[in-house]
Amino acid sequence: MELGKIPLYLTNICKEIFKKENMEFKKILCCVSIIFSSIVAVIGFVSVVVSVYIGDISVRILLVIIAVLFSVLSYYSFVRLHKRKEMVGLLVFTVIVFLVAYCLPMFPPEYGLRQYDLDASILKFMMTSVFLVVIGIAGASFSMKPLYKFTSKSSEASAYYILIASILLILYPLAIIIGNIISSGIGGISWEFLTQDVRRHGTQGGILPALIGSLLIMTGTALIALPLGIGSAVYLHEYAKKGKTVRIIRIAVDILQGTPSIVHGLFGLALFVPIFGISLLSGILIMGFLTLPIIIRASEEALKSVPQNLREGSYAVGATKWQTIRRVVLPPALPGIITGGVLGLGRAAGETAPIMFTAVVFMGAGVPTTIFNPIQALPYHLLELTKYIGAYPVEQNAWATAFLLLAIVLGINAMAIIIRERYRVEF
Amino acid sequence: MELGKIPLYLTNICKEIFKKENMEFKKILCCVSIIFSSIVAVIGFVSVVVSVYIGDIFGTNWNVAKGQYGIGAAVFGTLIVTAGAMIIAIPLGVMGAIFLSEIAPLKVRVLLKPLIELLAGIPSIVYGFIGITLLVGYLQPSFDMLSGYSLLTGSLILGVMALPIIVSMSDDAMKAVPRQLKEASLAVGATKWQTIKKVTIPTSISGISAAVILGIGRAVGETMAVSLVLGNMMKIPIPPWDMFETTGATVTSLIAHEMGEAAGLQVNALFAGAVILFIVVAIMSISSNILQERIEKKFRGG
Repeated sequence: MELGKIPLYLTNICKEIFKKENMEFKKILCCVSIIFSSIVAVIGFVSVVVSVYIGDISVRILLVIIAVLFSVLSYYSFVRLHKRKEMVGLLVFTVIVFLVAYCLPMFPPEYGLRQYDLDASILKFMMTSVFLVVIGIAGASFSMKPLYKFTSKSSEASAYYILIASILLILYPLAIIIGNIISSGIGGISWEFLTQDVRRHGTQGGILPALIGSLLIMTGTALIALPLGIGSAVYLHEYAKKGKTVRIIRIAVDILQGTPSIVHGLFGLALFVPIFGISLLSGILIMGFLTLPIIIRASEEALKSVPQNLREGSYAVGATKWQTIRRVVLPPALPGIITGGVLGLGRAAGETAPIMFTAVVFMGAGVPTTIFNPIQALPYHLLELTKYIGAYPVEQNAWATAFLLLAIVLGINAMAIIIRERYRVEF
Repeated sequence: MELGKIPLYLTNICKEIFKKENMEFKKILCCVSIIFSSIVAVIGFVSVVVSVYIGDIFGTNWNVAKGQYGIGAAVFGTLIVTAGAMIIAIPLGVMGAIFLSEIAPLKVRVLLKPLIELLAGIPSIVYGFIGITLLVGYLQPSFDMLSGYSLLTGSLILGVMALPIIVSMSDDAMKAVPRQLKEASLAVGATKWQTIKKVTIPTSISGISAAVILGIGRAVGETMAVSLVLGNMMKIPIPPWDMFETTGATVTSLIAHEMGEAAGLQVNALFAGAVILFIVVAIMSISSNILQERIEKKFRGG
């Protein structure tokens, strides 16, 4: 008799909770469910990343809490909002979460894919953690729905939630790469490391020749690609008549920009190495070709942003075409052009494949005396050290080299971005 | 009787797909099919030309000792690694671009956009180094693989590398959608998300596909990172979708590994691989550019 009344009491309690006056409670409930689901997703993600399983019991507790939250939410959306269809959706989600929590101990410790001839198996921690991430994200985006009373605003909120999650996921590798390289590499940077020759296959000594080689390559690339690139951009944008020729040149520039760096390397191997040998000059020429399209593109954009009436004003006072370009058009376009040039240099500093067969050796090149000597370069040095990992104790030097390379390239790129933002001329 | 109706149903389905409202979809479909058929045609042509000199260039036997130079396994490896990378990079990249261009407040955008451009600037050798030091050591125990060097590792690295290009270019494409279009949608009471879904993405779809094509091109041509984390065995894995096995190489990694000591016909075979690579990527950059030009023209006109 008394026992039979329990459901009645429970419903009464629930009704009390969801009364009009307690409207705010619903918001709190939804927020709690959103926050908790997000935490679950983060826990799942972290355990995927660090390969640690938090244990059956904790996973089950997390899942059961989510399921309870959702059963309350679905009850609420049925009783207060009278959304029967939506409630069913929430209920189905609740049941799924409950089922996963119930079945968790029955999961095998590893699900071998070898029966399908795949050379791997899915371990339990991976499976459960992925479940946690999926359920967490789905739960958080579902609990947006009762918060906005199932209007179109609610699907907007869940979409935003997923989009924010995706941008965080995009930024994660960036953080991992930069964080790891800084934390492991900065310890290896010392005055000796920067100023000594490579000794004993990179296990000892420094990287001075590689550093100088990279700087030489960058300087040479700038010397070749900047005049050529700016010149072509000025021709394409200021002199050339619009027509087939310009279009073909543009397409050629695009193809050059898209060409894989290894193809550049083979091109240099076939064209320059027979003439100049494996030398600084070959490397510079190849890198020049590599950076040319970047500079042409950026310079053209910069020239395009200079308004036409400036030019016409200059013509009106009797200036020639060349005077106009030199005194009127180029100065305001300069920041854009420099940005392109600096970005190109950043690319030249970091590329390995183009110079691999054409310009560099791992050891013994030293500081080149003429442009026909082979050189050493930072990216290639890092490549060789990476190949030695496991065979020789090169880890410390490899991380330090990676740190130095990343610092140079990112520094150059950051400089380009700063120039672009700081000196942008608005017309 | 019933069977005879099947063609009718099919035509109806096709009509449904190609309705006026789905105009953009049709165009994209056409573009994609044109791109791929031209790539296939070019590869066929090149293989005919090359086979005169090298023999069966697309065979699956690569054996320097026996003088067999078929880069079929490498072509397959490139395809599967790129496909894996795109499965990661396309949805994530487009979602990131939507967030960046439509939702993020100005302060966040000003901070994030340069950050993502920086990510694009990280040299590929650094990605490869990170792949070897962190990713390989992580994947091997996590999936209980024989070794961490596999097509899967290559796919993951390539996916991360292609992300910034796709995000940055799709973001530019969505930013180029005229404000009036979005505001008209908001004015009739659509939420921001509905506007994004129904107006912004359909209008900028050619720009987004240009970004995706360029991302694919970058992934196909990427060398250093991939060649470090692949197993570099010239064999098609059995079964072919086994991305966990140590077998597998891409055209780029094949060139990077063997060009140093290659001699004779082997050099020619590697150069043939490079030519195919060059042509495929060239077609991709041209088509990406045409798509971009079209979107520019459209917005200038309307």
